[in-house]
Amino acid sequence: MPLTLIKAAFDRAIGKAVAADLPTTPELKSHYDVVIVGGGGHGLATAYYLANYHGITNVAVLEKAYLGSGNTARNTAVIRSNYLTPEGVEFYRASVDLFQDLSYELDFNMMYSERGQLTLAHTDANLRSFRQRCAVNQHFGGRTEMISPDEIRHLVPSLNMHPGHYPVLGGLWHIEGATARHDAVAWGYARGASRAGVELHQLTEVRDVLVESGRVVGVATDRGRVGAGCVIQAVAGHSSVLAGYAGFKLPITTYPLQAMVTQPVKPFLDPLVSSPSLHCYVQQTSRGEIVIGGGSDPYPLYNTRATLGLKEQLVANAVELFPRMGELRTLRQWAGLTDMTPDYSPVMGLSPVENYYLDAGWGTWGFKATPIAGKLMAELVAGDGGVPRLMQPFSLERFRSLNLVNEMGATAASH
Amino acid sequence: MKQILCPMNGLRDIDEFVYGGVVRDMPDTAHCSDEDWSEYLFLMDNTAGLVREWWLHSPSGYWFIAERDTVSDVISATFDPSLFFTWAAAEHTQANSDD
Amino acid sequence: MTDSLDRLSAPAGLLIDRSRTVNFDFEGRRHQGLSGDSLASALYASGERALSRSFKYHRRRGALSMAGQDANTLVSVNGEPNVLADMIPLSEGLSARAQNTWGGLRFDALAVMNLLGGLLPAGFYYRAFYRPRGIWQFWEPVIRAMAGLGVLPNRAPHALSEKRHLHADVVVVGAGPAGISAALTAARHGASVILIDENRRVGGSLTYDNAHLKDPAQRIAELEETLRSEPGITLLVDSVCTGWFADHLLSVISAGSLIKIRARRCILATGSFQQHLVFRNNDLPGVILASAAQRLISLYGIRPGRRAVVATVNDEGLQCALDLQRAGTEVQVVVDLRTVGLADSALQEKLFQAGIRYEAESAINEARAGSRSGELIAVDIRRIIAAGELAAAGEIIYCDLLCMAGGTMPAYQLACQGGARLRYAEESAEFSIENLPLGMYLVGAVRGVRGERVSGEWSGIGLEQDAAHVASLALQSLGLIDEPSVAVSAASAPVNHAWPIFAHGGGKEFVDLDEDLQVADIQGSVDLGYRDVQLVKRFSTVGMGPSQGRHASLPTALLVARATDRLVDETGVTTARPPFAAEKLSVLAGPPRHPVRHTSLHQRHLNMGATMMPAGAWQRPAFYGSPDRRTALIQSEVAQVRTGVGAIDISTLGGLEIRGPDSCELLAHIYANPLRSLAVGRARYVIALNEMGFVIDDGVACRTAENNYYVTATTTGVDRLYREITRWNAQWRLDVDVVNVSSAFSAVNVAGPASRRVMAALCPDLALDRNDFPFMACVNAPVAGIAARIVRVGFVGELGFEIHIPSSRGAELWDSVFKAGRDHGIVPFGVEAQRLLRLEKGHVIVGQDTDGATHPDEVGLSWAAKPERGFFVGGRSVAMHRAKGIGRKLVGFRLKPGAGQIAEGDLVMSGGDIVGHVTSCGAPLAGGDTIGLAYTADTQAMAGDLLRLRALDGTLLTATIADTPFYDHAGERQEV
Repeated sequence: MPLTLIKAAFDRAIGKAVAADLPTTPELKSHYDVVIVGGGGHGLATAYYLANYHGITNVAVLEKAYLGSGNTARNTAVIRSNYLTPEGVEFYRASVDLFQDLSYELDFNMMYSERGQLTLAHTDANLRSFRQRCAVNQHFGGRTEMISPDEIRHLVPSLNMHPGHYPVLGGLWHIEGATARHDAVAWGYARGASRAGVELHQLTEVRDVLVESGRVVGVATDRGRVGAGCVIQAVAGHSSVLAGYAGFKLPITTYPLQAMVTQPVKPFLDPLVSSPSLHCYVQQTSRGEIVIGGGSDPYPLYNTRATLGLKEQLVANAVELFPRMGELRTLRQWAGLTDMTPDYSPVMGLSPVENYYLDAGWGTWGFKATPIAGKLMAELVAGDGGVPRLMQPFSLERFRSLNLVNEMGATAASH
Repeated sequence: MKQILCPMNGLRDIDEFVYGGVVRDMPDTAHCSDEDWSEYLFLMDNTAGLVREWWLHSPSGYWFIAERDTVSDVISATFDPSLFFTWAAAEHTQANSDD
Repeated sequence: MTDSLDRLSAPAGLLIDRSRTVNFDFEGRRHQGLSGDSLASALYASGERALSRSFKYHRRRGALSMAGQDANTLVSVNGEPNVLADMIPLSEGLSARAQNTWGGLRFDALAVMNLLGGLLPAGFYYRAFYRPRGIWQFWEPVIRAMAGLGVLPNRAPHALSEKRHLHADVVVVGAGPAGISAALTAARHGASVILIDENRRVGGSLTYDNAHLKDPAQRIAELEETLRSEPGITLLVDSVCTGWFADHLLSVISAGSLIKIRARRCILATGSFQQHLVFRNNDLPGVILASAAQRLISLYGIRPGRRAVVATVNDEGLQCALDLQRAGTEVQVVVDLRTVGLADSALQEKLFQAGIRYEAESAINEARAGSRSGELIAVDIRRIIAAGELAAAGEIIYCDLLCMAGGTMPAYQLACQGGARLRYAEESAEFSIENLPLGMYLVGAVRGVRGERVSGEWSGIGLEQDAAHVASLALQSLGLIDEPSVAVSAASAPVNHAWPIFAHGGGKEFVDLDEDLQVADIQGSVDLGYRDVQLVKRFSTVGMGPSQGRHASLPTALLVARATDRLVDETGVTTARPPFAAEKLSVLAGPPRHPVRHTSLHQRHLNMGATMMPAGAWQRPAFYGSPDRRTALIQSEVAQVRTGVGAIDISTLGGLEIRGPDSCELLAHIYANPLRSLAVGRARYVIALNEMGFVIDDGVACRTAENNYYVTATTTGVDRLYREITRWNAQWRLDVDVVNVSSAFSAVNVAGPASRRVMAALCPDLALDRNDFPFMACVNAPVAGIAARIVRVGFVGELGFEIHIPSSRGAELWDSVFKAGRDHGIVPFGVEAQRLLRLEKGHVIVGQDTDGATHPDEVGLSWAAKPERGFFVGGRSVAMHRAKGIGRKLVGFRLKPGAGQIAEGDLVMSGGDIVGHVTSCGAPLAGGDTIGLAYTADTQAMAGDLLRLRALDGTLLTATIADTPFYDHAGERQEV
């Protein structure tokens, strides 16, 4: 039993005041150097890095509900970097690097757990694209291999090697694939930001963005107007709405993404397993629950309702992959709202409005980008106007010049 | 599971339908600027509220137009496309040739 | 463990058959129960109250609700984990084990966790186990092994059950008095009704809270008879409604299968959940809900204990005490949290007459466990001196049963899944439900209507009339009646207490039994800044266990509101998500449904020894012969086509028939290629782009008559292309019919230098020489007597004839082709050989050599896309791309034998940068060069330049860029 727990128990016993992780919401000031709209992982990480790495502490994070209440709370906590494009792989590699040290950095246990992620190839087309992803990942120093059906059988004994009418022909074994406690990521950043002086405003909804002569000057909230030297929007699922307040459109359509979890059982599945052909991915959490996810809903919607059809489909595919899961029971089904872009890559950086910065378009990959997105957004805002190198490929401007970063090949139910 | 009142086939479960995007006006490709065109291609209203959309009843291959609220997911009306698009509209599609 | 208890005589024991015993075992010990028992009731009757060990502290736990509403009863049955012992009917030979124990239920080694509780507050794992770096890797497996409940066995379920669909005008969930009233009202006015109840018998609370009935069994039987004889009602008992979905689609688990019910209106009569009280050791075996005691008596004929104490916040506890006394349990005292004078006076009088002591303004300070049994032996009762505060001293009362009536929480889950909201009224301390979705109605206790007591006895007065009135509103909205029935006053006496929570210095006053969370855990979470009820849930995990907060949400809401100095209505409860009750995955999954498509020639391929491969949903021959000779067989097929003749099944190709005066107009807008000049009887390779100008499909367009076209499309792309074409034309309104005829035709490509001779034998009347039937011509003519469309195309680069015939004649044609080709050495060839053959010709495969963002110019198709000719889909984008210049280019390359192994997906490097990848490669000839196609950034690359390839093992290889086609550059072989 770690000493930390004993010491904490002692402190509680003697009634020693414990510093709160999350402060209560203060009064809004009339002006901040930086206003971050969205108190999810990205917004809080940005605030953390601004305050702790760039000394910018006159910062307010405005969150319409509670901290981490959006997609931070709704994703399935997959961390990986086995993307397809060099731009994507390099970006997510940097994120994985930060994740690996995050508990230590934030002094808060994220329960970062490197389980390995196995993506199953059922067709020769899968094998081709996995080889490419594997090679790109290796090139950037990632620990990723192509493995054979025999190796897969050894790695995941509970897997059905012929799910549906698909044989398992091989797999992309991303050794660094990991999971973490998603909420803890938001709380850890929130605590670190708030201790460095950032103000966290919960239950504070932005209703308008104030722009004068092409330059942002503040936001209007349901608690009053706030002036801002610059504004960062990090509101996945509602990016278009906020950009609309600022007066421009984004290459984003909002789709719900549903997932579900079963009752807990003792550990039997270590790696994260996904099957693009079956549109299904499966992992066992540290609580013992099996999380099952799949593709986005088939039509746009700003609503996190659950559908029966999707649950039936997810479950059918999960049971196909792991027949023993037929004896599991469902616990909960939920949804998040995803910003889908035409090339499945994010939209980051400058916007048509001066001093108004974008952190949007994450599709189903926002959680795994949290640390690097926060770090780069902070660099962008604190810097001298230059866009950080890793962020450059993801500019809004790329659509005008048709320089898409095509990550379609890295999707298909491998969030 | 939602249901949609298909103008051709009546009330059907939504899994019989395929979403076909928001009904939008295409700029005149012969005369619009590159900027107008890329805006048309990529920049979406992504409205949170009432929108007019294309939907296909897949088993019958029938396209129609639905008015749907993208927040409540309520479909308030469905129409045959001929109510919005007439043959005359075809004349507006820019002609082409083999040369 | 207490002594085994005798069964009570009838009318107690609604569910059991005393004449039939059932043998079973639990934790390796043999027991006997009665037919009709649940596993939990049979164990209870045997004196076994403890069923499980708790999630975190490994405390002994017994059934709380006896109604499947708590996680304490989760056991493993015949190896299946997480089965509710109080819901599963006993069956002969059933074998059950407790879960989450380390060494067994009785002597669980991890019971030591109970002593370490002070070290493990909510969220303790966030604050430890991560320093020094890397230590989490040690702790994580330990913590994981301790989490989780049952063990999932390594076996597949015996069968995946079929699903059913039902439809009704009105569905009523819950067959208690209110639900029955609503269902009968609806059916008697002509509505088709489905009435669902999760229990085996209808009647709801009447099945256990029924002291007012002379003969409950007869009353229930009458109700069932009434419902069954009502033609408009379909009754589903033993059926749990687990979810409400849009437009009144309900998921119901019944008899091990999923029923999906679509209703026009939905009436929820789901009742309410009796709540537990929060005090120290409120989780001991022997501490149960008052309704659980009543269920033991009434449903199973079990005397719940010898000496009982009842703790209550309302009259339910008083009634329970009377029921206990009547069942032979000696009730020591009824402890009522309410102030004097609030209890029903008639009930109080009955207690007095029964000699049962009653203490108002009192509560339980602590329950105490026997040191050996770990089960309840006494309670410490005390006066309430302020909300949540008890007098310093009290009275110890020995008892083996403590029944709690802690108030109610409406069964709000289905309503809230539909978007309804919970509101809390401080005066009544009750939650109510508002903002129901259109077409959903509430009746009975879920609506806060519970029926009145008359002279101390419960009666349905008010309740049934109110339910009938609500049902009439639903009927009116359906147009089945003109006017709703008159509303009745249905005020109900208050049932909740504002503060049924008594924190204790020693802790272990459980708010959430599933997650082992105590008052201090909720308070501690708030103290750490997790002030929103959703944050409290996420940080402490309250409500996240298997019972999803059925008993935890009310005390949590009270505690959070108080700790944050807000109203309960402001804090609220956490969101209700489906399902309402756990669903077995094999039931939700249903039978496998992965449709596989076979062409009409499938059996022929199998007969010829084909190794099949998936292509979308289709199965296609990869090559003919055994997989261990794969490369040689493919190369042999290639050689046969190059030198003799081969036949390939191309039935999976898509086919679109386009007819009408505007058909040319339509195609000229859909395809990038010019098509107006295509003559009747001729064919042309075409590509389709999306609006971004990226290649999405290709095929061959045949003009079969002035206004008729037949266009082929890729196997996996045709459905989407067809949808796109019809969507465009829904706007353009061109006078044209577009039909997807893919499934209507089978097709065989007969290719190779000898193919004309084979065709001559098949089509004796058809002129086949190059002048009469040139390359890229198409003709309708019989082949082997079968009406066919023949197209001369050259995908594989040899003289070839594609024969398209009705699918029903596919096998017949195939046989004829092989008969006619026998003298010419015809062989079948598969997809792999075809890929190599087309690779030699440098033809791209859409989806393999393109990636969804491939511009025509990048893959040598600039000739096909001419925006200058006017509008076509994607043309405007092609013009933009062209002006900007392309960034990459698909080139052919050669690699000498022995230069190393490369594969599709390998990277193309330039210095240290990735500039492209290999999309296709292979060696058509045994011992010959590997040829391939690859993207490179160097758009100036010329034949003879070097191409650096990175194999997957990291070795760098040097290939030579080559002109494509690799084979027959002038196209002479296909155009002969």
